Amino acid sequence: MTSRDKSDFNTKELEEAIRKMHSEVCDQCGKCTSACPVTKEIEGFNPRQLVTKVALGQIDELLAEEAIWTCTTCLKCRERCPEEISPYDIILVLRNLAYRRGLNYPVGYDDFIKGINERGYISSPQQMRTRDGERVSRVNLGLPEPQVPMRMNAFKGNLEELLKAGND
Amino acid sequence: MKYALYLGCTVQSEQFGFEASVREIMPKLGVELVDMNNTSCCGFPALSSVSKTAWLYLTARNLAVAEEMGMPVLPLCNGCHLSFIEAKHYLAEDSDLKAKVDNRLAKENLSYSGDVEIVHLLEVLHDKIGLKKIHESVTKPLEGIKIAAHPGCHAIRPSDLQYVDDSENPVKLDDLIRATGAETFDYPEKIDCCGSQLAVTSGRSTLKIAGEKLQKVVSYGFDGLTTTCPFCFKMYDGRQRAIMGTMKDRTLNIPVFYYTQLLGLALESDPDKLGLMLNQSPVDALVERIMEK
Repeated sequence: MTSRDKSDFNTKELEEAIRKMHSEVCDQCGKCTSACPVTKEIEGFNPRQLVTKVALGQIDELLAEEAIWTCTTCLKCRERCPEEISPYDIILVLRNLAYRRGLNYPVGYDDFIKGINERGYISSPQQMRTRDGERVSRVNLGLPEPQVPMRMNAFKGNLEELLKAGND
Repeated sequence: MKYALYLGCTVQSEQFGFEASVREIMPKLGVELVDMNNTSCCGFPALSSVSKTAWLYLTARNLAVAEEMGMPVLPLCNGCHLSFIEAKHYLAEDSDLKAKVDNRLAKENLSYSGDVEIVHLLEVLHDKIGLKKIHESVTKPLEGIKIAAHPGCHAIRPSDLQYVDDSENPVKLDDLIRATGAETFDYPEKIDCCGSQLAVTSGRSTLKIAGEKLQKVVSYGFDGLTTTCPFCFKMYDGRQRAIMGTMKDRTLNIPVFYYTQLLGLALESDPDKLGLMLNQSPVDALVERIMEK
């Protein structure tokens, strides 16, 4: 896990977004948790309990936990909730909030952001290995060169400013 | 039928077998694919996890490019498809957010109206080309082969924003498997997650989630598994050996194909043009069986 050095961003909009998700109407039926592929694998990840903590305003506690970063985004919780609460969407807002407050987040995200900023994509075309161990490229397969943002400077500027400003 | 082809990070940087097989079979079925210029990552879930606005900007700029081309956009990845669908929804319902994104797009001489049609590969194959046309085009039916369908989460959920297929009982990939002449049947874990998005935080849990599903697929007697999602394919095909190790189960060696590779075999495309040499799972015996028929 890593963290950003800034923690002074405006977080009001995100806190408001969480309030709009109406976690207080949760029936505690547990359909989200019974559908969740992560609950059975990772101790401490439980969408039903997460919704309760949000309803009780225990946001700081949730933000400090690694659990919010373990959701696979399978969306079964959102699909099956009889009260139309979406633990998936709550988790994404919590992640945004953790990032903005300068709290811990998985190291991999820095690589994702760096890649997008450098070349428009998380990763650049690789040499892939065939079953026989041979290396092949896009060119070997007759695939066209990938396209990148045309106005790279404007693209980078947009991305950097949006990440710095968060959602405001 | 003409579509703007959006590849996304995973397909264009490593999942060449998917791209090659899509490019090989679509013209045979009367579909023209037009490459996009000026595209970028869709932002899901790398940027949607850290900044919703930055993510929406990234997705909107790809949609803006498609709008400029004046044709529906076909993202090859389930994750990119969901990202496009969600972004279109958020930008339509929140004018403040759209104004922020528009302001950024203007700096790149792009504009997004929200009129763009977003299509999924399963929709193009099943609904636009149609089962009848696919069935009629097949010259080498994949008879006697049982293939498990894995549509992938982001193709079928959430049903309030998209309807590629039924969220609890998807059948389009099953129909498409049958259109090649192969067999398939429903199984309880069909709509379960591959676990790939957990890789960034827990490598072992990712492999266990994928492994538990693969064990079921093998136990039901399928000869292979097919999907149209590059993330799911990476798990079941590329990481199959690692799954075998984590599950301590040597029986977990099952051929995995992109659907477009299977269909390509049924259309008698050259296996090399379908990128089949790049599949890491043991596909050789099954491919030989198909080719010898």
